[in-house]
Amino acid sequence: MAEAPPLLDVRGLSLGYATARGTVRALDGVTLAIPRGAAMGLVGESGSGKSSVVLALLGLLGKEAALAADRLDFAGEDLRVAAPRLRGLRIGTVFQDPAAALNPALRIGLQVAEPLVQHRGLSPRAAHGRAVELLAEMGIPRAAAVAQAYPHQLSGGMKQRAVIATALACEPELLLLDEPTTALDVTVEAQILDLLERLRAERGVSMLLVSHNLGIVDRLCDGLTVLYAGRVVESGATEALLATPRHPYTRGLLAALPRADRGRIGRLAPIPGSLPDLTLPDPGCNFRPRCPFAAAGCEAPQALHPVDARHLACHRAEMLHDAAWPAPDAAVADRAPLGGTLLEVADLARSFRLGRGLFRRQAEVRAVDGVSFSLRRGEVLGLVGESGCGKSTLGRLVLRLIAADRGSIRFDGASVPAMPPDGFRRRAQIVFQNPDTSLNPRQTVDVALRRPLERFGLAHGAAATREVERLLDLVRLTPAYRPRYPHQMSGGEKQRIGIARALASRPDFLVCDEAVSALDVSVQAAVLNLLEDLRDTLGVAYLFISHDIGVVSHIADRIAVMYRGAIVEEGPAAAVLAPPYHPYTGALLSAVPVVGARGRAAARTRLKGDVSSAPTEGGCRFAHRCPAERGTVCRTQAPPVQQAGPGHAIACHIPVAELARAPAALAVAE
Amino acid sequence: MSGAAGAATPARRRLPRTLVIGLVVVGVIALLAALGPWIAPHDPDAFAMRMRLRPPSLAHPFGTDEFGRDVLSRVLAGAHYSLLMGFGATAISLAIGVPLGLLAALHRGWVEEVVMRGVDLMISLPPVLLGLLILAVTEPGLFKTILAVGLVYVPIMTRLARAVALELLAEDFVEAARARGEGAWHILAREIMPNAWPPLIVETALRITFAILLGSALSFLGLGPQPPASEWGLMIAESRPFIAEAPWIGLAPGLCLCLLLITVNVVGEGLRDLLDPRLRGRGHG
Amino acid sequence: MAGFLLRRLGSLAFVLWAMTVLVFAIVHLLPGSVAHMILGEYATNEAIAVLEAKLGLNDPLPVQYWRWFSGLLGGDFGQSLTMERPAGPVILEALGRSAVLAGVSIVLVAVIGVSLGIHSAVHKGSATDRALTLGQYFFIAVPEFFWCILVILFFAVWLGWLPATGYTPIADGGVTGWAKHLVLPVSTLVLGLIAHVSRLTRSSMLEAIESRYVLAARAKGLPERLVLRRHALPNALLPTITVLAVDIGILIGGIVVVESVFAYPGLGRMLVYAIDNQDLPLMMGGMIVITAVYALANLAADILYAVLNPRIRVGGTAA
Repeated sequence: MAEAPPLLDVRGLSLGYATARGTVRALDGVTLAIPRGAAMGLVGESGSGKSSVVLALLGLLGKEAALAADRLDFAGEDLRVAAPRLRGLRIGTVFQDPAAALNPALRIGLQVAEPLVQHRGLSPRAAHGRAVELLAEMGIPRAAAVAQAYPHQLSGGMKQRAVIATALACEPELLLLDEPTTALDVTVEAQILDLLERLRAERGVSMLLVSHNLGIVDRLCDGLTVLYAGRVVESGATEALLATPRHPYTRGLLAALPRADRGRIGRLAPIPGSLPDLTLPDPGCNFRPRCPFAAAGCEAPQALHPVDARHLACHRAEMLHDAAWPAPDAAVADRAPLGGTLLEVADLARSFRLGRGLFRRQAEVRAVDGVSFSLRRGEVLGLVGESGCGKSTLGRLVLRLIAADRGSIRFDGASVPAMPPDGFRRRAQIVFQNPDTSLNPRQTVDVALRRPLERFGLAHGAAATREVERLLDLVRLTPAYRPRYPHQMSGGEKQRIGIARALASRPDFLVCDEAVSALDVSVQAAVLNLLEDLRDTLGVAYLFISHDIGVVSHIADRIAVMYRGAIVEEGPAAAVLAPPYHPYTGALLSAVPVVGARGRAAARTRLKGDVSSAPTEGGCRFAHRCPAERGTVCRTQAPPVQQAGPGHAIACHIPVAELARAPAALAVAE
Repeated sequence: MSGAAGAATPARRRLPRTLVIGLVVVGVIALLAALGPWIAPHDPDAFAMRMRLRPPSLAHPFGTDEFGRDVLSRVLAGAHYSLLMGFGATAISLAIGVPLGLLAALHRGWVEEVVMRGVDLMISLPPVLLGLLILAVTEPGLFKTILAVGLVYVPIMTRLARAVALELLAEDFVEAARARGEGAWHILAREIMPNAWPPLIVETALRITFAILLGSALSFLGLGPQPPASEWGLMIAESRPFIAEAPWIGLAPGLCLCLLLITVNVVGEGLRDLLDPRLRGRGHG
Repeated sequence: MAGFLLRRLGSLAFVLWAMTVLVFAIVHLLPGSVAHMILGEYATNEAIAVLEAKLGLNDPLPVQYWRWFSGLLGGDFGQSLTMERPAGPVILEALGRSAVLAGVSIVLVAVIGVSLGIHSAVHKGSATDRALTLGQYFFIAVPEFFWCILVILFFAVWLGWLPATGYTPIADGGVTGWAKHLVLPVSTLVLGLIAHVSRLTRSSMLEAIESRYVLAARAKGLPERLVLRRHALPNALLPTITVLAVDIGILIGGIVVVESVFAYPGLGRMLVYAIDNQDLPLMMGGMIVITAVYALANLAADILYAVLNPRIRVGGTAA
């Protein structure tokens, strides 16, 4: 082990916020250390307090925050005193959302140059020149032009590169990264992660990477600290920790993760219960209420103690050494075989006109450009794509919530007109992404669930009440929820209500628009299991829209990959996840940060540029970013749809045989 | 992101103390205004030339004016004008503006264009001027003033109602309603209005302050209730020649007007803090 | 940018034209004959008929409108009924004097209001901040015309420092004499508006101070002063422009009242005089001029906002 003192040495960091409900213990005795040149990951779900750690280190907490620590040292200096001096100079920071972290009123170059002027005493001109160099080093093309631009003129990936450039301007020894890629598309995220890896190798800068995403942390970090409700539960070397987690929470986290490389393993294992109330800190282990291994002795304080090469805060860890995390509940019912065709969509298209700018040009965005697909009864079609690909628009077009410019929809053999009859509406429903906005804040659960019943004349009065209770039971909530308002429920509970509402009219078809994307991993697992059970028992068909291919590959029978308004590949899930790939699918799959896949670093396909780069008219819409682009034919002619297998179609100029030779982006387990 | 259940509930907090005090004071003023003619110590219109321009005393707590009329009695008798102007005009602007705004939000397209161009047009005239314009060519009086002030504030209410409605129409739960095939009426009544009334109420309360201000300003200029009515703005105007020798004639109604305005403002702000803290700091003329 | 400008100018022209129609319609379509109004209740029918013929009131309305409108375009505001002089020069002279009041006022409001708001935001929760907030409540609630009375009472009657009413051109009374007559009207105009502007600036500045990009700037190790000045301020000031534009409208309303009280011979006072005396050409002309000034001020504010806001000034993508 390293003899030199760690660069960052934190011991017993505690943080409390005074709120109306009492003092919230956001952090409780957090201890971590980062040796020089190492990268440490700080992992936790929302409410774990991980973002507070960054602010605490920088000394940027508000006045209402009470900070206490046994030690808060950076290179031997006490951060509580030295932080104002070290910020920007020896410690650089990258915040989560680059659009928010950059000042919209100032040019990029100025913002990157500021630390140089402030700390290194450079003249503004010299600093600007260095800033342009930095931007170029971060992989920004035409850096000089970008330095003159304003943040709103850059795409998300470019903005984040600029933010990283700013953080590294004075060549700090430590880089703090708070969810640096959460706001970015997965292919852009992969580019940024490549960049961070390269920077680490070239500059030897130490990193503290805060994230909820275990895949990212696995890729970049040497060591890992797991945070639960403000306390450190486990820390150690990344590879070992993720391969054999010891603390029950870490195990639970890994068991709840849907992973693209595990394919359709059947069921996820959610962590039951919810986060503890941080205003009432538990004197013993605060994971106790949710831990399947809880026993006598857990109510005593759990100190972080070394076990082998790790630190654990669980007195039973050694005893549980090989115990498996409880297997998920078996599927409730056997799945019925898929039925006949339920939904047929042909050549659906919709364009949007962007608002008039100062300039006369009215840009037209082809959100959905000639999409066709079909869905069988009880089938799950996963629709995957990044931001701007049109998947949400497609979901709404299919339900006739948005008018289509052209195309047709046939539901159960009958054509669906632009203003569909109640019969269609009853049988086709939608589940939304954001649990906070999908329910009417002024309606109780009872009112919200009753309304569809009354609307479609399915039940009234007492019969409706019974039906409401049945729906609640279906989504695994008790009748006690009936009089509750949305603000009295958690995100997971609200999402279940949203699902219950959608199921109230007993639909045959459900559009799930990023239905689990806004939920924490542990809650996500429970809701995904629920959706699967409902599919099995009710025989509902789903159009499952998501940007997360791990989630999609877990639940979908077939997968369609969308890029800029068109489906570029479609087929059975297993077939889509293995070669032959459409080049975009290949890039998408290799971009997903997967736990335990460090060795795959070499086999990565990377895309040029960003989704916002405008394509050329007429040719393949993916050509300008495609790593396998073949020149003129790709840029001028629309790609033909090739059959790569039974029910498996790829729209590409490159012959299928050649595509099949591409290396597998994922090692799909059986 | 999910977290511990039970976030703070905005609609169920205790009433802020300032709001309660404000409501009580406004209530008292309203009561005095209603009872005015009966509780006034003297006849507000009675001339008594021998008692003219007397400073405040026990018999005449606010003194007497140039005609010997008791100022306190006149102030009491005139209270109802300000209240009527404030509440009446605001009610008019609400009754006309909100439906127009909702209409514009629900029927995008040419209906919205026409309504919003009309609103823009009316907003391009400063409020006092619009009021002047309307009142200049008719016989002035209380109801015409109330109507004029109400019309002046219609555009602002229209814009607000439309903005609030548009914001709500974009919410997921409204889309869920459309996915159930709910008609426009249901969406308006059950999804939008229950969520729209907090910002509307707040704006209405703040608008009352401005309505009282505009109404008394117009009366001050002679375009409101005519003499011998003891509308406060008019009283202040009539007191001008005697400012030096008998300032109480103008000060009494003026201070009462200020008191009314401050308390109505406090109630408005209190309501805003209660219903929609996000709007803090936003207020306009 | 050129397209933007053209569209706003077109919109301005439309609004002004619509105003002329509105003013004309209200004056001529409301019950009661115009001539009757002018001559009063006891006029004989013959006198009315003569006046109507003289004023061309027997012609169809569109013709009357066109006569007036075309005159306007040529700068002819008609003949003042009470002053026996062309209305145009009267209006313009009054406009000049009001412009002085308005100009001085708006500058004071902008400078003092914005500074107070910024100070309040930066020192949030301090004694000054709370005093200012309390003051704002108070100042917003006092009607302008009452301020006039108070201020006259205090400064003119009791202290005798400043003249209560009137106006002296620089030619006659020198700059001090001229300025003395401005002090009271201006101070009355600005008090309520300063409260309004400072309050909105405060919330705008607070929003900027509590933003992510200010946090990021602090994380860069920049000193607080620099963070406030270079990062928070530009973003906070942008909405202030819009607020000031709205305030010009309130100011114009205030000018009408204030000029009446202080007998300041500006456009507002002229307007009230015209209304009291049924001097139609003066009244209609005055309305149009004020509307035009307000519309131009709003246009200037819009342009300023567009120029200063990078999102509007520079569109498109760079990378």
